[in-house]
Amino acid sequence: MGHILSIDNLRTYFFTPSGVIKAVDGITFSLECGQILGIVGESGSGKSMTALSILNLVPHPGKIVGGSVLFKGMDLLKIPKDTIRNIRGARISIVFQEPASYFNPVFTIGFQISETIREHLRVSKKEALEATIEILNSVGFPSPQERYRAYPHKLSGGMLQRAMIAMALCCNPEVILADEPTTALDVTIQAQILSLLKKIRNDRGASIILITHDFGIIAETADVVIVMYAGKIVERAVTSEIFDNALHPYTKTLLASLYKLSNKINNVSSLPPEQNLANQKKNCVFFDRCSMAEPACNDEEQALREKSAAHFVRCWKA
Amino acid sequence: MNNNPLINATGLKRYFDISGPFTFLKKRIVKAVDGVDIKIYNGEAFGLVGESGSGKSTLGRLLLRLIPASQGKIVFLNKDITDLPERRLKELRKQMQIILQNPYASLNPRMRVGKSAAEGLDAHRIGSKRERLDSVIKMFETVGLKREYIQKFPHELSGGERQRVCIARALILNPRFVVADEPVSALDVTIQAQILSLLTQLQKQFSLSILLITHDLRIVRHIAKTTAVMYLGKIVELADTEELFKNPIHPYSKLLLASIPPAHPKDRKNRTHDPENYNAIMFPQNGCRFINRCESAKTECSEEKEILREISKNHWVACSLNYK
Repeated sequence: MGHILSIDNLRTYFFTPSGVIKAVDGITFSLECGQILGIVGESGSGKSMTALSILNLVPHPGKIVGGSVLFKGMDLLKIPKDTIRNIRGARISIVFQEPASYFNPVFTIGFQISETIREHLRVSKKEALEATIEILNSVGFPSPQERYRAYPHKLSGGMLQRAMIAMALCCNPEVILADEPTTALDVTIQAQILSLLKKIRNDRGASIILITHDFGIIAETADVVIVMYAGKIVERAVTSEIFDNALHPYTKTLLASLYKLSNKINNVSSLPPEQNLANQKKNCVFFDRCSMAEPACNDEEQALREKSAAHFVRCWKA
Repeated sequence: MNNNPLINATGLKRYFDISGPFTFLKKRIVKAVDGVDIKIYNGEAFGLVGESGSGKSTLGRLLLRLIPASQGKIVFLNKDITDLPERRLKELRKQMQIILQNPYASLNPRMRVGKSAAEGLDAHRIGSKRERLDSVIKMFETVGLKREYIQKFPHELSGGERQRVCIARALILNPRFVVADEPVSALDVTIQAQILSLLTQLQKQFSLSILLITHDLRIVRHIAKTTAVMYLGKIVELADTEELFKNPIHPYSKLLLASIPPAHPKDRKNRTHDPENYNAIMFPQNGCRFINRCESAKTECSEEKEILREISKNHWVACSLNYK
């Protein structure tokens, strides 16, 4: 298995009136073919911005200030606009968190999916429509022959998310970026969508980056996990290794939250509130919220070190 | 715990007419709550779970009389409030409050949060200006917010802090009964754990009765002593929370429990049975409402209406297959 996507020292900064916010601050990782890679972190940790940066879709006032995103040897940040348009949605596609706000409400979902197909594959309207029905069918969309004509508001959240996944799949992409694909959904639908993602990986061999704040979802699906905090990777390892042997205090807190949720334990020490992310000049990003912090932590920049085989952590105490 | 429930609803129904302006066409009705009996005792935390569309939020609103019931009776503090006029209801409203799902939407963006939290006191004309301020500060401290926060606007706060403001606002009138409608669904997992700990602590401290509405069973387990599972407007299973987790009987409860994401990759489950193509609303008129999704459905299920029956002590199930 080779690398399909390698991200090297990617940095995306937001230039706001109150200062520079380093949403993504020098992250490096690679995605292997057929792998499900989970990115975990709280809101504001830069996980969604990582996904948008990969496709060079960062919104204003954000800018990608450095690094590279190599997709099969092509640097997506350097290639011309036309070329990346042919990649977005066709070879690398993205599933957003709230399907209701990403579909255009005045077109039917069938039209919107077939539009993507026609844009990328240059086929006739009729062929595109047939492909749409087929893809809707494959994501478990009930009676697609009739319901491809439905407008987004006619569908439930779970169905709309399926349509969104169908749209992401319609050109048979090599990489799927799924940004909190189940956050707005019921647990039963969440279970269905997660098994659909696993099925897509198994049947089509697509590689998936799954972004979430819920370690439960990671436990269910991911092969490898990256934990992000304040734009940096703080820990990276194989899923079972993270669960059995978490090293970074932040990862431990996240896992403790999940454990608390799952096992009915109250009053575990809670995380102090988030600090202002603008203009941070600290050597350990987690310093202010860490229960194990001591002055020595700020002496020098914490680097991502390989603690054991393929287990990286950004904390000198680990 | 005394034997008189704080709130007792019987045969509660709420139908919504969605036919639109063309009433000469076929009349379409959504039975959001379709015959529910519910008792919540003093100081009890009661969990209500179900998917979206199961009518759980509607039920919460009915109990607070934020929307009128189509049928049934609600007794709160030994008073029938089903048809009580708004003027006389106001006195009782102090005793019942709601915490909403989305703290980003439920606070007025142009009002300082201290003012938002004090609105209940203002509406009921309780205390002088000074006293109101004092009680807001005190309540903010109780929910873990510093006193400076009363001067802030909602956009200056994080999601968890906003939800704390909403909790302070709900508790400031010292209510007996609080409906918490998905209080943590919009929050990160770390913050969820904090807010849940806070709610549990406050529930004990003020001996509140809480109706906790959620789709995530993990959350119910934290707070609720008793849990009801709702499906398409009806309660299908009702039991002590621990009993429900250890020994779920209704196929729908089993499905919900099986859908909880695992806490460790070694607990990965195989696909649970849940058909993807079903029409939930098209259940047979005389049959079970879960029939289209049920893995153990038999022919008799389409002929017999499910009735909530007590199958063991304090464990009620509406499934005809599990009775006999």
